[in-house]
Amino acid sequence: MKMIKEPMFFVNVWRFLMIGVLIHLWIMEEATTNSFILILLLMIMTSLRWRFALPVWSVLVDAFICFLFFPYTAISYYGLAVPIFELTIKGRAVFSLLFFISLFFTSASPNLLFWFFLQALFFGLFSYLTLKNQKVNKLEADEQRKARYELERIKIDLLEANQSVSQQAGLMERYRISRELHDHLGHDLTGASLALQAYEYIQDPHEADKLLEEVKNRLERSTKSLRETVHNMTPTTLMGVENLEYIINNYYQIDIDWKKSGDTLQVPAYMWSLLEACLKEALTNVVRHSNATKIEVDLHVTGTIARLSIQDNGTVPNQNQTGSGLRSLQMRARSLGGSVSINRDNGFLLVCVIPMEKGGADK
Amino acid sequence: MTIFKFALKRSFSNTTNLIFLTLFPIACIFLPNGEDWPFLPYGYQYFGILILFVGIRLATIILEDREKGVVKRLAVAPISHFQYLSQNLLAYSVILILQCILVVFGGVLYGQELYQPGWLLFLFVSFSFASLAIALAWISIYRKKDVSFLVYMSLIFIVIILGGLMIPIEIFPDLLKRIAIIFPTFWLAEGLNWIVFGENILDFLLINGVLWLYTIIFIIIGSTRKIY
Repeated sequence: MKMIKEPMFFVNVWRFLMIGVLIHLWIMEEATTNSFILILLLMIMTSLRWRFALPVWSVLVDAFICFLFFPYTAISYYGLAVPIFELTIKGRAVFSLLFFISLFFTSASPNLLFWFFLQALFFGLFSYLTLKNQKVNKLEADEQRKARYELERIKIDLLEANQSVSQQAGLMERYRISRELHDHLGHDLTGASLALQAYEYIQDPHEADKLLEEVKNRLERSTKSLRETVHNMTPTTLMGVENLEYIINNYYQIDIDWKKSGDTLQVPAYMWSLLEACLKEALTNVVRHSNATKIEVDLHVTGTIARLSIQDNGTVPNQNQTGSGLRSLQMRARSLGGSVSINRDNGFLLVCVIPMEKGGADK
Repeated sequence: MTIFKFALKRSFSNTTNLIFLTLFPIACIFLPNGEDWPFLPYGYQYFGILILFVGIRLATIILEDREKGVVKRLAVAPISHFQYLSQNLLAYSVILILQCILVVFGGVLYGQELYQPGWLLFLFVSFSFASLAIALAWISIYRKKDVSFLVYMSLIFIVIILGGLMIPIEIFPDLLKRIAIIFPTFWLAEGLNWIVFGENILDFLLINGVLWLYTIIFIIIGSTRKIY
């Protein structure tokens, strides 16, 4: 019964109740055909208002109908409550006060009529305020919803940007490595290779020794250069699976059983950040919410997926709602085309599965 | 006018409707005269009841559409609800008008004493429209065809009796006499009395006017589009 909670429902009920009041008065007081037509005409206006949103000037029609019947029946004065209500509900309460003038020349009881008009005015005012508030609330709810959608959109965009940036960074790095190798190594190695070829054709032993010495120097230089290049390029921070291992090794609260299988080098950098976040979140949750004594962490990488599962043996009863940390992880996983699923049946199990793109980290 | 044609065909499609729409009106022609009351032959006094039944029979076709999801499909078809409703109602009105013509002129040919057959036909047509509108408004609050029909049938009997169509209104207590005016059947009974005794044409036009007002009110209420 959603309808009953709508303020408009009560407004319409009041409108038809008004007709009911008029019919009652009509049966009790006169029951002439003329006045019944008045009721029918007002009923038409009421049903029109129920079906359509009539403009505010339509109250003139009601007022005119009532006015026409003034000489014939006292019910027409009661009928004026309809335009009073309709004006008030549209926020024109001041104009509706004009109808109170009819109290001075009515053929019905002016005292009763006054209170009748006043309640119409009052309920009209109440409905006006309620409908206005409802409208304001609806607008506000719409705006909030819009803002939330935009925020989610931006979040997804950011995650996608993150992924593309890490891919770009990978490419840049490969370009830098190739340039380093070309600049420092390529030059000396090519020189050495050319010198060795020339060595075969040289007759003079003194000249040949000199050339060989030259080749030796070049090779030594390039070995040194290679060592330096590699040394310079080796990152000082931990990367990939090492990072996961570092986190696990520095987690002293509970015993962790760590297993890994598959070629972890295939996993691109932007996936590691998600796997790392999953691991951190799960371990934090264990400390915060669980009474577990043992955790199993299993990383499995195949050609098509990377799967990280974290299982504990806690016995804390089910809490069905997912926290914001896990929700955000689920969202990040979705943006990579994967998923984060949770199972609380037997301890707490978090499984993160991310599909690997063809080519993986080599791309 | 596809819907119009289709609605006409559908109205005659099943046997019950065929009996309601053709045999009963013909039977009305041959009913005898009453002794003191009613003043018109029984068939003509009670034809109003038949009109009410035919009205709901026809209107439930719309309810059937709603039940079967036809209205839902029409909502996405390039046709407005107004077109759908107006063509259906037009078809039903045509059927009702034809019935009224059949009954009134059949009576004239058969030799029934009808006083003013032209005005009688006009009254029956006005009442047919009111009946159709009431049925339309009635089905708008129902989801099931059978339930709406059965409840309406029982309601019709109350309306007929309180409205003075079955029993002369003069024998009612004072309060019931006043309440009777609310029912459209009262106005039909008044109209039938005017046909026999009436002199002032304005009275008769007023009676028809009220029936038309009823038609407008109930059409407005009943024309809401409901999609389940």
